[in-house]
Amino acid sequence: MTISDKIRKVRVGTASCGLAAGGAAVLDALRAQAPQLDIDEVGCIGHCYAEPTVEVITDAGSILYAGVDASDKAISSILGLGDAYRFHIPEARAQKELLKVLKLAGRINPVSLEEYMANGGYGALKKALDNTPEWVIDEMKKSGLRGRGGGGFPTGMKWSFLAAKQAEQKIMICNADEGDPGAFMDRSLMESVPHQMLEGMLIGAYGTGATRLFIYCRAEYPLAIKHLKIAIEQIYANGLNKINGRELEITIKEGAGAFVCGEETSMIASLEGRRGTPRFRPPFPTDRGWNGWPTSINNVETFGNVPLIIAEGADAYASVGTAGSKGTKLFALAGDLEFPGLVEVPMGTTLSEIVFGIGGADPEKVKAVQTGGPSGGCIPKELFDTPVDYDSLKSLGAIMGSGGMIVISNERCMVETARFFLDFTHRESCGKCTFCRVGTTRMYETLERIVAGNGVAADLEFLETMGKKVGKGSLCGLGQTAPNPVLATLRYFRHEYEKHVIDGQCPALQCNNLVDVYISKDKCIKCRLCIKNCPVNAISDDFVVDNSKCTRCNTCIEICPKKTIARAKKGECNCG
Amino acid sequence: MGNYDYLNEIGKEPGNLIKGLQAIQGHAGYVSDEGIAAAADYFGIAEVEVEGVLTFYAQFKRVKPGRNKISICDGTACHIKGSTQILDWVSTELGVKPGETDADGNFSLETVACLGCCSLAPVMSINGKIYGKLDRKNTVKILKEYRQS
Amino acid sequence: MDKQLIHFKIDGREFQVAPGQTILNVAEANGISIPTLCFSKKISRTTSCFVCLVKDAKTGRFLPSCSACPVEGGEYDSSTEEVTDMRRTALELLLSEHQGDCEAPCTIACPAHAQVEEYVRAGRKGEFLEALKIIKQRIPLPMSIGRVCPRFCEKDCRKNVTGEPVAINDFKRLAADMFYDTYMEELPPLSGKKVAIIGAGPAGLAAAYYLRLGGVASHIFDKQPAPGGMLRYGIPEYRLPKAILDKELAHFTEMGIEIECGKELGKDLKLAELASGYDAVVAAVGCWKPSSMYTEGEELAEQGIRWLEINNCGHTGNPGRTVVVGGGNTAMDCVRTAIRLGAPEVTCCYRRTEKEMPAEAIEIHEAKEEGVKFEFLCAPLKIRREGSELIMTCQRMTLGEPDASGRRKPVPVPGSEYDIKADTIIAAIGQATDAPEGFSTTRRGDIQVDSNSNLMIGNIFAAGDCISGAATVVEAVAGGRKAAVSILRMLGLTDEKPSRTINVSRGHWQKNNLTRENLVFLRSDVSDAERVQLDLIELTRRTSGFEEVSRTLHQSDIMAEGKRCIECSCTAKSDCKLKKHSETYGASTTRIGGKKLDSGYDSRHPAIIQDRMKCIKCGICVKICKEVVNQNLLSTKRRGFSTEVGAAYGNPLPCSCTECGQCIVECPVGALDWRLKE
Repeated sequence: MTISDKIRKVRVGTASCGLAAGGAAVLDALRAQAPQLDIDEVGCIGHCYAEPTVEVITDAGSILYAGVDASDKAISSILGLGDAYRFHIPEARAQKELLKVLKLAGRINPVSLEEYMANGGYGALKKALDNTPEWVIDEMKKSGLRGRGGGGFPTGMKWSFLAAKQAEQKIMICNADEGDPGAFMDRSLMESVPHQMLEGMLIGAYGTGATRLFIYCRAEYPLAIKHLKIAIEQIYANGLNKINGRELEITIKEGAGAFVCGEETSMIASLEGRRGTPRFRPPFPTDRGWNGWPTSINNVETFGNVPLIIAEGADAYASVGTAGSKGTKLFALAGDLEFPGLVEVPMGTTLSEIVFGIGGADPEKVKAVQTGGPSGGCIPKELFDTPVDYDSLKSLGAIMGSGGMIVISNERCMVETARFFLDFTHRESCGKCTFCRVGTTRMYETLERIVAGNGVAADLEFLETMGKKVGKGSLCGLGQTAPNPVLATLRYFRHEYEKHVIDGQCPALQCNNLVDVYISKDKCIKCRLCIKNCPVNAISDDFVVDNSKCTRCNTCIEICPKKTIARAKKGECNCG
Repeated sequence: MGNYDYLNEIGKEPGNLIKGLQAIQGHAGYVSDEGIAAAADYFGIAEVEVEGVLTFYAQFKRVKPGRNKISICDGTACHIKGSTQILDWVSTELGVKPGETDADGNFSLETVACLGCCSLAPVMSINGKIYGKLDRKNTVKILKEYRQS
Repeated sequence: MDKQLIHFKIDGREFQVAPGQTILNVAEANGISIPTLCFSKKISRTTSCFVCLVKDAKTGRFLPSCSACPVEGGEYDSSTEEVTDMRRTALELLLSEHQGDCEAPCTIACPAHAQVEEYVRAGRKGEFLEALKIIKQRIPLPMSIGRVCPRFCEKDCRKNVTGEPVAINDFKRLAADMFYDTYMEELPPLSGKKVAIIGAGPAGLAAAYYLRLGGVASHIFDKQPAPGGMLRYGIPEYRLPKAILDKELAHFTEMGIEIECGKELGKDLKLAELASGYDAVVAAVGCWKPSSMYTEGEELAEQGIRWLEINNCGHTGNPGRTVVVGGGNTAMDCVRTAIRLGAPEVTCCYRRTEKEMPAEAIEIHEAKEEGVKFEFLCAPLKIRREGSELIMTCQRMTLGEPDASGRRKPVPVPGSEYDIKADTIIAAIGQATDAPEGFSTTRRGDIQVDSNSNLMIGNIFAAGDCISGAATVVEAVAGGRKAAVSILRMLGLTDEKPSRTINVSRGHWQKNNLTRENLVFLRSDVSDAERVQLDLIELTRRTSGFEEVSRTLHQSDIMAEGKRCIECSCTAKSDCKLKKHSETYGASTTRIGGKKLDSGYDSRHPAIIQDRMKCIKCGICVKICKEVVNQNLLSTKRRGFSTEVGAAYGNPLPCSCTECGQCIVECPVGALDWRLKE
């Protein structure tokens, strides 16, 4: 195998998505074929659809390979700088994306302090330490940075509350419990550049006088935890944790699977070893937090922004974004689109630029995007000109949330989507407050009935009034926002609900009880694969589906080589 | 009584209870009544309170899981991409319902909120290894490999 | 000093308080009532029920007042419709997951809402005077009703799940028979008010009874020569002997109630004069007009209710071969009376089948024992006389679709006409109200009243069959009591309101397919024995005369029967906060539906019952045990809708808990309670 002598370095993406796509095998193959080369594991470059990715650094610049595998063909192309598997970042994305927080993601070895420092890492911390803590808080306030975890509270303000407290101990917690199912910004940042958010935390500790740092991270992110642990050891070894004359302890606490722990008072309860139930505020955590000490909680991405602000200065930072939302925002794009992945764009970029431009979704096929996960809402295609910032999303009945963005195509049923989110939130409810514990359950049951074809018109009224009441009568953010997916779909896609409850139909053909499965006989080649594979023997010898037996498992639809089997509106299929 | 000496590596403050329970589950695959009693004793917390904390969090198992732990991701992206069908197929193929372990103790099946690999949706993990872009064919194939091994 | 006080408003009222007080604290201290379930002064706040919501008028946010402290200049709404609606919804959400029986099904089923469980319990213990006192709170005619009641209570008795229902009515009969001549209520002094009652039947007597207990005298007028109404003139001697009835009625006279017979409204009495001469009038004139069969020759038939009346005043003599048309209790009274008069052949003709018969099953059964023949699916077409014989031409019927009453409708079979010969034909197909002049009536001809108060107009009330159509004695006494309470309220002598009670139920034993697992056994000695047998006189005596058909059961048998009672009602029915607030806020038990937890009650502890199905997850007990008692025996487990409270590993509480019971005192709903009911 020829190995080009122009190669200086090879980087293989082995963050979670890269590994899942087969990155480890590619790494092994490259190392086996070219043991003499400097082959490094890096994090995620955000182009998840292209995984596994390999970047080859030459004197002339870097070449990206994507969708590679461990085959000789792929490996020899990479090592020979061939054209096969070469990857070019799509033009639309290259134009719109502004990599600031993610600048180093996938470009450096995540667990190499040297590489991080060689790229300016810990320069911001040094700059901060050269100034006063008050200066840090001022810069943070001036930057206009708002919490990236969902609430959008100004970070500088929160820090100033903590800084103002006179207490023996002050606590700073990084919320790395990325609970929104469909979001992976924080995971990617922690896996790819763990030092960046740690640097943000250390700067925060200096500014606020925090004496102890916690990272509350999902246990489902083993790689992120591993990288963080290594990075913390490096911090200790290099004395980077000597702040305000103390050696700060940085503790990683693994969450144990509770969405509600993203709520700050719940997270504190969990960190204290208790059930993660929220409590009434005030007192706010900055007054009484972990073990009673003043506490500030910020999210991973928020901390990830801090070194940028300090390094480039608040004014430069604030030059990006909109009046009320400064800087860039990371979005985890997923769902029905061409290029799922992690993107970073300036605040104020429109939804259509993100979904159609960067995501490559087909405007003909998309009907909505869900932002903010189970706490957010859907936004219909007609409103995609909306610039993405905290306030405009809120005005549409959605929220920025942490940055999950799920593209929903015409083939998805909005009622079923709402049911899915309520299924999640009602199970994640901590069970303490009446409106959330029982109200979300009753809403979920109602949605279950509707998608099962047993809904009645009065159910829509119930969902709307109960949704508003659950929002008003819940203690914490989980309950307050849980009805959002239902209220937003009722607002923009009421006709889909009405179709279900009035006509007994699912326009998207997704709800199993409201569809039939049929075989169109003209294209059928009578291969009998469908008959053989049907788990309930619902297909007769003359290729007719007995819809009373059929469980709508889609096995036949998937297996049919000629794609002659499809779903149709109940009772309306041409089954003959 | 099993050996819970490994708890000694963890500080005794009550704030470490969840960490302690994670350690017990890490060793045994689940937390038995005996595990609860050990944690209660170690951290100086009433057993009933330990049970209250344990049952609050989805991560903890009270029954012994199968040798192969299958987690079907039902995060938003995976759901949109058809995770319900994947779950159906796996469940039918193995004859286990979510939350259960099969009679031979070979497979246990569960759904999880999000594995964070949304761009590869739908995904599942078996013993921590992630499989993405599932369809019926590769799902059945993957299961077959674990069955044979 | 004054500067440190916080100034704010609740419902527009101004307050100034020191910091640290919650809105609920301030409201409670100042007589503003805010409902709460999860708040207890003894523990740190739980903030879980959200029934105590108030609205922050400035921010528009809803705040749990148990936890929110007022802010300077704050304005809080606690009584607007919006706040009330939120509280009501919180209560309805809790009711939707709350399972139990606020009241036992027997008491709910009883039209008079007699405290069945309580008097059966007294009977079980042999305390029959106590039982009688409880019975008479709602049933002023226990000797009669103890004999003739169709036993609505027993039809809904949960004992039906495992066998036959508790013989509830026999408790009334025994208790009343034991003390009829010694028991006298404590009568309050008379207020000077006086009520005229028209009709000395069950409704009129009940009205007079409860008026007297409220300190109001009454004067009952009746057109018949003797009091009792249907009890005397409708119900045959063999079911309710006149001697017994006379004893029961004597009690009313002893109470000072005036009964004047032979006075008929419209003839001897004028409504307007009564209304102006008395503080109130109660019309309880009954339902005496026989319904028509609408068949040719109908005039040749006797009218059931009239025929019974004649026989109750002195016998008609042997009616010969007798045919009774109809399937209700009046028809059964007619056939069984005919048998006793010596009729050689008695036939009951009914147009549907036995299953659809409105008569009580026991009556049908006993009629059959006595030799009555039944002709089902048979409707009369015409009656004619041929010599000394009556000939009734009938038509065969078949059952079609269910009608409005839910019973399958009889449909004639063409060409199926046939004749039945008889000496006497009795039409017992129902009665209607013959409303006296001056009364407004419904379309059916009954007297029209406000259903909450039984008020017709001004100070004129009505009760009993004349407002409901022909019904039962127990329904009539319930109506009489309702009229009495309304009058007492009108006269300012009671503040008892037409109560809006809610009832959460574990379900009907039959409609909800309950099994033994659904039953809650508080006592360990609930007996599985067979139901006590009726003590019937010998058949020959039954068919040859009017002797009372059954004897009052013995005390020991009734005490044993009491052991069969499950005692279904909630241990906390008198002090359940969820029930109390739900009634105050008009919360419905059915507006919000959905699944309920299936984890059952735990009665393993000898003295304490833990019923997770009732638990509203407020967490008070957990905190009481941890913060007050320092025992830490309880914890909240799981989360979301599956949240439950319990002791470690699902074990029962330790026996030592019996000495503390602090969690029981604080539990708002009776999810933790003593097992004993007293």
